[in-house]
Amino acid sequence: MASEDEISLLVIVVDVNPIWWGQQAQREQEFTLSKCLDAVMVMGNSHMAMSRTNKLAVIASHCQDSHFLYPSKSWKAGDDGADDASSSGDGKYELLSVANNLIAEEIRNVMSKTEVRGNSTDTLLAGTLAKALCLGQEIKSRILVIKAAEDCALQYMNFMNVIFAAQKQNILIDACVLDSNSGLLQQACDITGGLYLKIPQQVALAQYLLWVFLPDSEQRSQLVLPPPAHVDYRAACFCHRNLIEIGYVCSVCLSIFCNFSPICTTCETAFKIQLPQMVKPKKKKLKQTT
Amino acid sequence: MDEEPERAKRWEGGYERTWEVLKEDESGSLKATVEEILYQSKRKRVIESHGQVRLGMMRHLFVVIDCSRSMEDQDLKPNRLTSTLKLMEAFIDGYFDQNPISQVGIITTKNKRAEKLTDLAGNPKKHIAMLKKAVDTVCVGEPSLYNSLKLAIQTLKHMPGHTSREILIILSSLTTCDPANIYEMTKTLKSLNVRVSIIGLSAEVRVCTVLTRETGGSYHVILDESHFKELLMLHVKPPPTSSSSECSLIRMGFPQHTIGSLADQDAKPAFSMSHLDSSSGPSLGGYFCPQCHSNYTELPVECKVCGLTLVSAPHLARSFHHLFPLDAFIESPVEEHQRNGFCQACQGELKDKSIFTCPSCRSVFCVECDLFIHDSLHCCPSCIHSQTAS
Repeated sequence: MASEDEISLLVIVVDVNPIWWGQQAQREQEFTLSKCLDAVMVMGNSHMAMSRTNKLAVIASHCQDSHFLYPSKSWKAGDDGADDASSSGDGKYELLSVANNLIAEEIRNVMSKTEVRGNSTDTLLAGTLAKALCLGQEIKSRILVIKAAEDCALQYMNFMNVIFAAQKQNILIDACVLDSNSGLLQQACDITGGLYLKIPQQVALAQYLLWVFLPDSEQRSQLVLPPPAHVDYRAACFCHRNLIEIGYVCSVCLSIFCNFSPICTTCETAFKIQLPQMVKPKKKKLKQTT
Repeated sequence: MDEEPERAKRWEGGYERTWEVLKEDESGSLKATVEEILYQSKRKRVIESHGQVRLGMMRHLFVVIDCSRSMEDQDLKPNRLTSTLKLMEAFIDGYFDQNPISQVGIITTKNKRAEKLTDLAGNPKKHIAMLKKAVDTVCVGEPSLYNSLKLAIQTLKHMPGHTSREILIILSSLTTCDPANIYEMTKTLKSLNVRVSIIGLSAEVRVCTVLTRETGGSYHVILDESHFKELLMLHVKPPPTSSSSECSLIRMGFPQHTIGSLADQDAKPAFSMSHLDSSSGPSLGGYFCPQCHSNYTELPVECKVCGLTLVSAPHLARSFHHLFPLDAFIESPVEEHQRNGFCQACQGELKDKSIFTCPSCRSVFCVECDLFIHDSLHCCPSCIHSQTAS
């Protein structure tokens, strides 16, 4: 076990894309957003119960923005523990019950007040992960992402920046995927050393969270965990977005092309083409025969 | 140290009264001044970006380390050689972090000769292992600038034109023993487009000034160990390319990583081509070159069989932030900002002297988050939320 006064922070990033969850509610009534958040609360409580110095943060990632569910600003500002009304009567550790109530209240605020623009089922995870990284700078931390909707292909570069920043800070990124496989998260887990798991049965979310994602990195070496997924590291060409195995890379802007072209479309440099050397025909001296 | 010889040298100016920096406040405590100094040192690390200048991403760098008698001097603890080698390990880590598709080689010079410690390679482990072993070398004799430059050029001149060719010399001795005219060597370096930079550990030497000025590099002399580290780290960032370097399309392969297991019917064991001389046996998995299917354990690597450069997409992605650098945030005093006293990134209170505002999305950040964003993250957390197209 870690030493007594080592702070360990767990940041749980929950994807609350309302369009995906709305469709999910019609597909399967048993597993809705509130059930998912119940599982998240169980995970958060267990993490805080493991050690006195463990800390928790929960961020909800919406379509265009991200909100901190716990700790929330209002709690930090007026922090007196003066709400006796929220302490539950069943003798639960007060920190856990406060956390649960705050999460429930904040998610209600978020879902009712945030307006939904557009019809996209993609979520912008990169911004949320960036905020999560700013949180855990001096302390040992790890991030658990619970992903529902599909990837947004436009955020590749920002996502990679976030992944490299996490790797430099030794922050693990774990991913628990509910629906469709996400190539970006697979790369994130592979590069930072975290775990990637696509859940076969969504109703058992709490079980998977507790069995697979609760132990931290030192304890994971002693457990038998799901094998690493095969990550596709092939690059996509800039012209057709196909995955290619051999490509041409511009030396100036590092854009990748599948075919040779004399001008780079991104930075508009003209490339030097190696032409075959011209061999001048040698003038043969006519032998003078006498 | 100065490029223009007309500027006054340090001894020609007045004395610098360093004690005047510290000022006491009314109660006689130095706390405010110390905090100010710490704050300034934090801000100094945010290096200004070059703007729209083409940077050399694929670099071939040779580092020449002086191992002559003057390296046993103990003005850097425990002695100059150990301190240099330790800083070099940190430099190599930082170099491959910022330039994943570049290569580095190490040359040592002593006893009027130069020899290669490691050849140009893209894998940091080998270099760091050799640096650790080099701590035991005996420092003897005089260095030879000419010989080390000649040894470096022998490899650099075969490198393709679109890469940047650089030599970084760490010179502690004030003398050099050259078999031929060093100014002729300077002309050769200029014609081959090699940029030479020097970090001096003792004092400024004229031949170094001329060498760096002619080839377009930089010359600095260290003040102490932390200054040494700063100067070394200046060379980690990719330099602006010279106008005569060519731009070309480089053919590269992106191999798939296969994790072979014994249960897999098609898995065939293969030897890794990069470790043929080591005693490790064949492995089932690894990276297979798309052109000739030879096996490699790590990337990036140049295939020994068919000559194709093999990289993975994240290696190229690591360099993207150089191409799209993040603008510096606007600093403003904290009293002007009354709305909510929380940093948008870490939700902490804004208790420092000043706050930083992103020019495009006007979100507010504290000092630590600003430093983190510019050093490691390279993108503003609020801007990437509202971007619908990157």
